[in-house]
Amino acid sequence: MLARVAASGVDELWLLGTVPAGYPSPAQDYGAERIDLTRQLIKDPSATFLFRVVGDSMEGAGIYDGDVLLIDRSIEPSSSAVVLASIDGEYTVKRLHRGDGFVELRPENPRYPVIRVDGLSELVIFGVVTYCIHHV
Amino acid sequence: MSRPAVALVDANAFYVSCERLFDPRLEGRPVVVLSNNDGCVVARSAEAKQLGVPMGEPWFKLQATADRHGLIARSSNYELYGDLSVRLMEVIGRYSAWQEVYSIDESFIGLNGGAAAGRAIRDGARRLLGIPVSVGIATSKTLAKLANKHAKAHPAFEGVCDLAEAPPGWLDNYLATHSVVDLWGVAGRTTRRLAGYGIHSMKDLRDADDRQIRRWFSVVLARTVRELRGEHCIPLEGPRATRDQLIYSRSFSTPITDADRMAQVMAVYAQNAAQRLRRHGLVAKTMTAWCSTSWYGAAQDHPSVAVSLPTHTDDPIELVRAATAALPPRLTPDTRYVRAGIVVTDLVPRGSQPYLEPFVPLSERRRLGDTMQAVEDRFGPGTLGLGRAGLRTPPEWAMRRQMLTPHYTTRWEHLPVARAA
Repeated sequence: MLARVAASGVDELWLLGTVPAGYPSPAQDYGAERIDLTRQLIKDPSATFLFRVVGDSMEGAGIYDGDVLLIDRSIEPSSSAVVLASIDGEYTVKRLHRGDGFVELRPENPRYPVIRVDGLSELVIFGVVTYCIHHV
Repeated sequence: MSRPAVALVDANAFYVSCERLFDPRLEGRPVVVLSNNDGCVVARSAEAKQLGVPMGEPWFKLQATADRHGLIARSSNYELYGDLSVRLMEVIGRYSAWQEVYSIDESFIGLNGGAAAGRAIRDGARRLLGIPVSVGIATSKTLAKLANKHAKAHPAFEGVCDLAEAPPGWLDNYLATHSVVDLWGVAGRTTRRLAGYGIHSMKDLRDADDRQIRRWFSVVLARTVRELRGEHCIPLEGPRATRDQLIYSRSFSTPITDADRMAQVMAVYAQNAAQRLRRHGLVAKTMTAWCSTSWYGAAQDHPSVAVSLPTHTDDPIELVRAATAALPPRLTPDTRYVRAGIVVTDLVPRGSQPYLEPFVPLSERRRLGDTMQAVEDRFGPGTLGLGRAGLRTPPEWAMRRQMLTPHYTTRWEHLPVARAA
């Protein structure tokens, strides 16, 4: 529930908690809830995992060394999604590209090679990267 | 309204699956997870089973197998398993209104839709968590447990077995050809006593007079008889202990709807768990607490939470604090909860101080322990405890955990690595 409240002459946008049906508690009107980043950024908490980035091959996608990735396993990896895939026993972050009769894992840094396989079934994809936490 | 079938959903080699999720190199290779202090095997991958590695085998006896067949060992990472257990229970709960957690990796759920519904759960757990599970479906918990075992034993089932799909006569034949010793909750001692009454197979027990069984044995075994006939009647209550976990759960006489009352329940259960730990001479490091609504109720909810205790402990105060702080805030307001339970894992023998020994005057410590024991003997367990129970157990650094993986999902500084190379 969103409500606009005038406070000391300044309009502020308050996020209020949901009010259960029945007689409303008067105290509830003042119970503004702060933004909960977990709730905003993580759609499926049970299926979401955090990984730490090591390397610079995805800088073109805004993913830098030391950043933290939010990876949601509940999302189907579409073409052009940034994914975490298992390559040679390690988890690697790359952009997925589905071509005609082939699938590629593309880095976003010209200094790194593209990995090409015949089909999606040859890849073990851990999940889809939804957000990147970058310390500015 | 007809009752839904009961499904037992459990993870295959759960601890190994947890390790594999964050280390793809372990996929397809023989892997075991060791008990505390890197002692014995507590979980085996299918490949390790094929190598003939027995459950409970001490690791030092497996060195040759490790060298020859590339058997890989991991120290038990209960903090990781606890978190993945909570995720697994939540995901399984999505498929059913009713759920009873049975252990860290097993739960019973009410399930409509037969094997197809079972496959949806198996696929969901695999996709969302990367954890392979097996599903056994029947009309009672005892039979669901058998169906689950059957699904695991025969790869053709692909992890899902619904007894309703079995051909006519199959179950009779199965029960006639399997010993009661393989039944859920039937101990070896009971098996020998049953043999004295001419009851050997599961079918013998099913066809026995349950009133007589109750007289000769117990209410519990009489319930098993009725469960074998397909009647769902075993409640999951009271304490249970297995090799590496201790479970305490009960139903309430009146549903609980508020956090304060739930905190009281948690306090009582935690003290019971502490008492059990003391009786077994164990201390625990990880706790999972959960509660659930009724099978029949309209509003369904089954929150579950994992807590890593500050140190290995059997201190009722520490356990009570953890249980009361963790679960009650997770309740949905105005929901009627009818069951709750706690599981403690990461168990080690209390007072095992292999590395600390030289630094602590032995006589002094022993006398203190004796005094505490005397007080407990006289006034009952839990009447006296040390404020910092950790002193009696080895600290984390003293424990042998040479093959311990990071706490990937519970510590910011332990996050798994995503290579950008």
